[in-house]
Amino acid sequence: MTILEKLSDGTMYLICGGIIAFVAVVCLVFAVRAWREGRAIGMDPGLMKKVIKSSAAFSVLPAVAILLGVIALSGALGIPWPWLRLSVIGALHYETQVAQGAAEQVGIALSGSEMTAGAFSTIALLMSVCILWGMVLNLFFNKKYTSRLAGKKTGGEKGSFGNRAMTAMFIGLVSAYIGSYIGGFVSGGARLDFSGDAVPLLTAAAAALAMAFFTWLSRKRGFSFLEEFSLALAMLVGMAAAIAFRALLPHGAEAVSGILRLVTEGRG
Amino acid sequence: MKEKNVRNTSYEQRTHLLGRGVSALTLLLLVGAPFVIGAHLGAMPDLGAAGRGFLSVGLVWMVSSVVEFLVYTPMLGSGGSYLAFITGNLINMKIPCAVNARDLAGVKAGTKENEIVSTLSIAVSSLVTILVLALGVLLLQPLTPVLSSPVLRPAFDNVVPALFGAMAYKYYRADLRLAVWPLVLMSVLFVLLPSLQSQTSIMIMPSGALAILLAWLRWKKER
Repeated sequence: MTILEKLSDGTMYLICGGIIAFVAVVCLVFAVRAWREGRAIGMDPGLMKKVIKSSAAFSVLPAVAILLGVIALSGALGIPWPWLRLSVIGALHYETQVAQGAAEQVGIALSGSEMTAGAFSTIALLMSVCILWGMVLNLFFNKKYTSRLAGKKTGGEKGSFGNRAMTAMFIGLVSAYIGSYIGGFVSGGARLDFSGDAVPLLTAAAAALAMAFFTWLSRKRGFSFLEEFSLALAMLVGMAAAIAFRALLPHGAEAVSGILRLVTEGRG
Repeated sequence: MKEKNVRNTSYEQRTHLLGRGVSALTLLLLVGAPFVIGAHLGAMPDLGAAGRGFLSVGLVWMVSSVVEFLVYTPMLGSGGSYLAFITGNLINMKIPCAVNARDLAGVKAGTKENEIVSTLSIAVSSLVTILVLALGVLLLQPLTPVLSSPVLRPAFDNVVPALFGAMAYKYYRADLRLAVWPLVLMSVLFVLLPSLQSQTSIMIMPSGALAILLAWLRWKKER
């Protein structure tokens, strides 16, 4: 039996599947409690159903992308462990990076051909330990932190800033990522060489345009049902556009870089 | 009124109790699993190598986790944040999903309704993820060639840019005057310091801090 076969045997599925099943039950319990509490405080059940439908629709595409992470890691770590990591606590952008770093520490490359039982259990431990701090902080400080925030929001006008602050925080979050796509293109190879990858930036632009279109349809053209699916649909359009951009990019990137260089040299 | 306050407190207290309990149990399961697997495979984890690995790659994620806790907990409320930090995939799924649900429901951050909406949204999102992954794992063999085909790969490589592009339209449209400064600052920083591109999650903090500061200054001026 090879190491990869051992990493995908019945016992591994039992261990990892058991933890995932536990977390699924936790999600169900929280959902049922929230639903009951919403009803008890007089929230509209139709609105809560809308939230559920929208959240489910929104999550399908990113979940498929996460599944690709499982597939990518399964070549080195078997199927059950990446399945567990990406179903519980893990993050798509985190797992590969930490698994790679951990593999380096045990002196192997992250591949099925070099994997050993000892290396796997060490990599698995490091993958678990590196990302659990959010949960640890929640365990010890969530109550104090949320109580303090709740105390601050009471008091009329001050409460309205809390909402503005959340919107501002999200603008900051989005700006960090859009800025990184701009930087990735403009200084991807070296500073200001315009030879980086333009696909993330173009994809973001395509998704933004699609979002604008769906918002217009839902608000101005009476397709109000689109509102709850607009984000998922805009993402889908952006992802489809990414396929086209990737196919065209070698020429597109050269053209853009060439034009920019001409402009820069012309000015120089 | 008094009855409603008692109910709110009671729900919140029980949420914290449940959240702490399941967080502790999940921690135990996740840290324990590598040892159980080690026993099954006949090779326990090398704690020295794990310690060295933590110093080289773990510290960055520790800082990132602190930032995520400070930034996202107010957005998600107590129930939502317990669930989100247990189920993970915050930035690429749970946070946008919860914010989208909050906007759809028209509830304000910090209210009881927001707590309910965000908990429902994250629970459903997590269950969908678990379901999709379970089905995917079940069908992994037949699906692998389709999902990992070179044709579809750019689409799945760019899920996060697609997400933030759509979100950018939504939030920049809401307050374009506020959005200009963090976007310009971040773009300039990422252009002039290309090494920052691998630290985007850490850059959320200064970008968010600037946006909040500007929003606060304007709010003070308007009062």
